[in-house]
Amino acid sequence: MAQEVKERAQLVPSRRSPQQRAAARTGAWLTAPALVLVATFVLFPLGFAIYISLTDWPLVGPYHFVGFTNYANAFHDPQFVHAILFTLTYTGIVTGPIFVVGYGLAVLVRSNRPGAKFFRTVFFLPFVVGLTTVSYMFSLELQPSSGGVDFVLSKLGLVSASQAWTVNYGPALLAISVIVVWFASGLTMLVLMGGMQAVPDELYEAADADGASWWDKERLITLPLIRRPIALSLIISVIGSFLAFNQFFILVQNNSSLETVVEWVYQTAFNQYHLAYGTTMAVLLMVVIAVVSAAQFVLLRERSR
Amino acid sequence: MNVMTVTHPARRRWPKVVIAAVTAYITAVPALAVSAGAGTASAATSGFGVNATGTVQFWNRAATCQANLCKVLVDEFNATHKGLKVVLSLTTPNEAVAKLSTAIRAGAVPDVVGLNDINVPVFSREGALMDLTPYVNALPYKRYLSPGHLALAEYNGRYYGVPYLADLSVLWYNKKLFAQAGLNPNQPPTSFASILADAKKIQALGHGVYGFSFAGDCQGCLGFVMQPDLWAVGDNLIEGPIGHQKVNIVGNGPLRQLLQLYRDIWADKLAPANDQTDNGSTWGADFEAGKIGILPGAYGFLPGIQKAGMLADTGIAPLPGPNGGYSTFDGGDDFIIPKGAKNPSGAWEFITWVLQKAQQLIYPSHGYTPVRTDILTPSYYKANPYNAVALKALARGSAPVTTIYNAAFNAPGSPWYQMFSQAVYKGDITGALQTGQSGFEAVARQAGDLAS
Repeated sequence: MAQEVKERAQLVPSRRSPQQRAAARTGAWLTAPALVLVATFVLFPLGFAIYISLTDWPLVGPYHFVGFTNYANAFHDPQFVHAILFTLTYTGIVTGPIFVVGYGLAVLVRSNRPGAKFFRTVFFLPFVVGLTTVSYMFSLELQPSSGGVDFVLSKLGLVSASQAWTVNYGPALLAISVIVVWFASGLTMLVLMGGMQAVPDELYEAADADGASWWDKERLITLPLIRRPIALSLIISVIGSFLAFNQFFILVQNNSSLETVVEWVYQTAFNQYHLAYGTTMAVLLMVVIAVVSAAQFVLLRERSR
Repeated sequence: MNVMTVTHPARRRWPKVVIAAVTAYITAVPALAVSAGAGTASAATSGFGVNATGTVQFWNRAATCQANLCKVLVDEFNATHKGLKVVLSLTTPNEAVAKLSTAIRAGAVPDVVGLNDINVPVFSREGALMDLTPYVNALPYKRYLSPGHLALAEYNGRYYGVPYLADLSVLWYNKKLFAQAGLNPNQPPTSFASILADAKKIQALGHGVYGFSFAGDCQGCLGFVMQPDLWAVGDNLIEGPIGHQKVNIVGNGPLRQLLQLYRDIWADKLAPANDQTDNGSTWGADFEAGKIGILPGAYGFLPGIQKAGMLADTGIAPLPGPNGGYSTFDGGDDFIIPKGAKNPSGAWEFITWVLQKAQQLIYPSHGYTPVRTDILTPSYYKANPYNAVALKALARGSAPVTTIYNAAFNAPGSPWYQMFSQAVYKGDITGALQTGQSGFEAVARQAGDLAS
């Protein structure tokens, strides 16, 4: 009986004071605009996308419900499966280097020594320029014979003849990965730097007093205390790689071995006009991203004390 | 008492009214679109397109208004038609089809659209466009309208559009390099053999000069300049009416010759190595630099050639067939009136005004070719010597009448590009033809267009 009373006490909301109710109302009003925007521009389109994925929605004209046929077809679509595997491969290739380079840059610019602000700006600049612009820039610089990349590498003696970087799988994936690491590590740097600057100096001073090396301080103080920024930077990086489109569309759009999921979705929806099927694959991609992001959150969350 | 019946505020179910509203919204949009699409826009009245009043909403692709042709036309029309006003909206590149289909679904269509002509069959097949047959047939100059544009506007013997502007493919050549190579600068190549022979002689000049150039990673560009070489002899890759089409690639003699020509050019290094990775962003730049002898390209290259100071050294010719003949890709836009347009009469009045000779004559100064061949007079030749060559080719021009053009030709890694790449860069022409045949058939089958 005592246990039942206790449970009821927990489940029935306690009476709140007028001040608490007023505060709750104010909170509701303040969050209402954001909730309305999220509902209008995120939740409704998401629900509508799922609705479309259950139909044979054409470009124009009537449509019919087809149940889960589109989902079943997607799992048997060799191009979709190939695009998923390639996107996973690409994500696996670039995520580590983006983090390592971003971490290194953050270490370089986290202090307020002279020139640090300048280099922060320089390292972040590629991200500000934007991936589309960067990709178009490199579509010229990667040209055989006339491109800057061939010119520099030949002067360094690293290539002997002109290279068509974007034609074959290996060189193209290497070139795009290098471009993306250069492009995205600035953002990782910024996120990690913010976390590093929030670590109290006293911890490092105490470590110095104990005779800790630079690596010991990074390993035992910095890394454990910036788990959240690390998780955030990795999640941003992985989601960006899963949604890769611009660089592949601009640089290697005709090479089907380098086709990402978003490229295949775009092609299905806007070149073949199979809107429902394209939407289905987009929904599946969204689910995969949600699962991977959730897994990262769990793996990188703060350990309970 | 069962404690499980206690409802926590955060776990309340959605009110039925909210569920009903969302459901109604979700189902209303397509329902409206379906009803709009099913409606007829019969406007067969004697006064149709004459002295209309009100406003005409006109959508034009930004891509085909680069030298302000559409703005000039609209401004002039509005200045001379007090009771009828045309309001221009430009559609961003690559979004014209999606935007129009969204408008059709929402039941809020414009009155007239300048639609990429290769996309017209996609909409006419779905019954989304107004049947303009009686009005097109009544045009006194109908037989002079661009045949390729008009064919794309026709579906099941009815016209759902009318030509608007032409963006054509031609053969540019460098007269100065021709002369230096001992060739007649007034005699452009007229066959595959003469293209190859001329390119070799120009290549021999050295000093970074190449005989030929093409945008080898731009599937759309390649389709635009290569197919006319086939149409010159009446050859088509896709044949038959929409819904019952056949793919004519394996065993296609002219196509094999065409791929062999490009393969020879590539294997003999008569084109720059950069061509293999040119996705169209630098197409024609090497020609403007005076380094290329022969360039199949767009007539729209003219302003760039002019700006580069190359015009005096540049010749223009139609794209030749294997052993003669010529043709061009009838690219550009068709006018269409979507079903459900509020002012179709006003739209047709604007369309017929644009098609008048006076308006057609201003096209060349804005980088486009008119769609009426009957304006090709000696005075037109004199005033527009370059455009006259393109306009003459327009009469023999063509464009594939199919709903799978984007998927078969323009899409990244399209069957057309796979075939080109395998033949030209790998030298496997027989295998490329098989790749093309199966790829085109797969796309047509998926669209329900392949003849059984």
